[in-house]
Amino acid sequence: MTPESAAARPRLLEVRDLRKLFPIRKGFLRRVVGQVRAVDGVTFHVERGETLALVGESGCGKTTTSRCVLRAITPTAGRILFRAADGAVVDVATLPKRALRPLRRQMQMIFQDPFSSLNPRRTLLDIVAEPLVANGVGTRAERVERVAELLRLVGLRPEYMRRYPHAFSGGQRQRVGIARALALSPRLVVADEPVSALDVSVQAQILNLMLDLQAQLGLTYLFVAHDLSVVKHVSDRVAVMYVGRIVEMAETEPLYAAPRHPYTEALLSAVPQPDPRARAQRVLLEGEVADPAHPPPGCAFHPRCAYAVERCRAETPALEPVAPGHVVACHRARELTLRGIASPPRARA
Amino acid sequence: MASDRPLLEVRDLRTYFFQDEGTVRAVDGAGFSVFAGRTLGIVGESGCGKSVTARSILRIVERPGRLVSGEILLRRDGVETDLARLDAGGREMRQVRGGDIALIFQEPMTSFSPVHTVGSQMIETIRLHQQLDRRAAREKAIEMFGLVGIPRPERRVDEYAFQLSGGLRQRAMIALALSCAPRILIADEPTTALDVTTQAQILELLTRLQRREGMAIILITHNLGVVAEMCDEVVVMYLGRVVERGPVDAIFHEPRHPYTRALLRSIPSIHAPVRTRLPTIAGSVPHPYNRPACCPFHPRCPDFMPGRCDQAEPALLPTGPGHQAACFLYEGARP
Repeated sequence: MTPESAAARPRLLEVRDLRKLFPIRKGFLRRVVGQVRAVDGVTFHVERGETLALVGESGCGKTTTSRCVLRAITPTAGRILFRAADGAVVDVATLPKRALRPLRRQMQMIFQDPFSSLNPRRTLLDIVAEPLVANGVGTRAERVERVAELLRLVGLRPEYMRRYPHAFSGGQRQRVGIARALALSPRLVVADEPVSALDVSVQAQILNLMLDLQAQLGLTYLFVAHDLSVVKHVSDRVAVMYVGRIVEMAETEPLYAAPRHPYTEALLSAVPQPDPRARAQRVLLEGEVADPAHPPPGCAFHPRCAYAVERCRAETPALEPVAPGHVVACHRARELTLRGIASPPRARA
Repeated sequence: MASDRPLLEVRDLRTYFFQDEGTVRAVDGAGFSVFAGRTLGIVGESGCGKSVTARSILRIVERPGRLVSGEILLRRDGVETDLARLDAGGREMRQVRGGDIALIFQEPMTSFSPVHTVGSQMIETIRLHQQLDRRAAREKAIEMFGLVGIPRPERRVDEYAFQLSGGLRQRAMIALALSCAPRILIADEPTTALDVTTQAQILELLTRLQRREGMAIILITHNLGVVAEMCDEVVVMYLGRVVERGPVDAIFHEPRHPYTRALLRSIPSIHAPVRTRLPTIAGSVPHPYNRPACCPFHPRCPDFMPGRCDQAEPALLPTGPGHQAACFLYEGARP
């Protein structure tokens, strides 16, 4: 995709300098003794009809970011501008709860675990119709009709609607979760690790389904995931997060082929390849992900970074463009040549 | 380090779970060999019996599960012991567990006591298997912590499991498992709960320790990338059956069983072009109660031969050097 065509698509979501701090409380009086900077100044946008992936390891803030976008939690600061169906741009971050209600129909979520996200005591009809009932959409007969249509859409037989979740496999349950998310024809779907709890053979089915539904319904996805192979199959653009910040964001192909942030390089090279002839020399990171309650000074990645220089220990790098549509937060982004994974896997020496 | 005689040989292992609703044949005729200094991967999706296989070897299958038949031959100093015939709670089996064969599993949090320090649990284990006094056992624990790359081991031994990060807990668990110098390490999804950069560290650590100690590793995982990275031989399981086994290169580059082939094609690849659909396997893994008769894969199989695959169960047939597949496609074929 050229930057021109990218610019042609209207922005459905624009997040500016989002911050979410969680207080750390201690002692009898629950005094605040510190803060976890779960999301620490995150800026990105999602165009209509595209998929933006938020990737990173545990504690990087990707899930907190997605929860803020849905206003499942209230952000500490920043703006979340959402273009509603009527064309108005509203700031989800500060909207009062009452005014949020009509917007919630336009943003839905697909959860990770299809076993705990479906109520075992309710039939598929109840589960998928729930958002319709909650929003007072249609008569009962109309809702049954809509549920049948949704089940067909996600590849399940409408006859199943009177059954309970236990009768279904993990993949089928995830289809039910997707049907529920689509019940109100949302404009934005936030999918938080939608395939990571599934068997390998079922992952592929769900990823294909998500691609098909996007093409069919013009959906926009914010796709939260840790698996870079999965992300490559669904995303137009990728934002890599580390300890509450975006460290690199670009279109998928250039990000994988020529990463510009050392953390992205390490993440890509850590993915085990399903090919014994590709046992590659990896960029093995030392240590572990920094604690977001006590992030290191300067660039939060510097203690693990093989390329760190004095400046990285003192000065936090800003997210800056290095190519059209490609932003990186690294002091050395312009001088480093990092290894991507576009080249065919290397044979074992 | 590789020797031509296996350290452990599993033959026709069957472990069934007898429940009111019926019998689940969790492992139904599994067989493989484990060699010193080498890594055997057991791979498959949920319900394939890979974890029950590991638990059967250690004789820690919980009721209503029972080891029904088969042999588990452990070779020690030229003497062969059939673990399947030992008393599961007996003295000899207790010495095998932790002594000859150690186990690490997915969630290291649940394998440590929350009320004892990691060091005290390790000292207890060491003293159970070795004639060492407390002080010497503590020294040994600190040495093991250092060996697995835990920073400042002399301080970490006095901490509790919850004070350690996921990666450090898994390292502590590996240290605990290796403290009695087992000759076989069973690693059941050792990196599944970890972040990808931590996973890379743990895999590297296992490889390094194997090289140093010459132990055999049985790696149980659903992650085919981890298998390709780590293993020498691979066993592919589906619904309790071994459907294919062979050298790692053959499994990934010349897979024979339709299930292995389909599974390999359906893995999301980091080399794939952006936004591409994946080939899929029809349907999903059936619940073990409803295991299809005859070849368990036949209802999902693209090469299904009516009148054959739904009439009999295929045995493992040779398809190449050290390579076998349980599929009627290879009937009569002589490699």
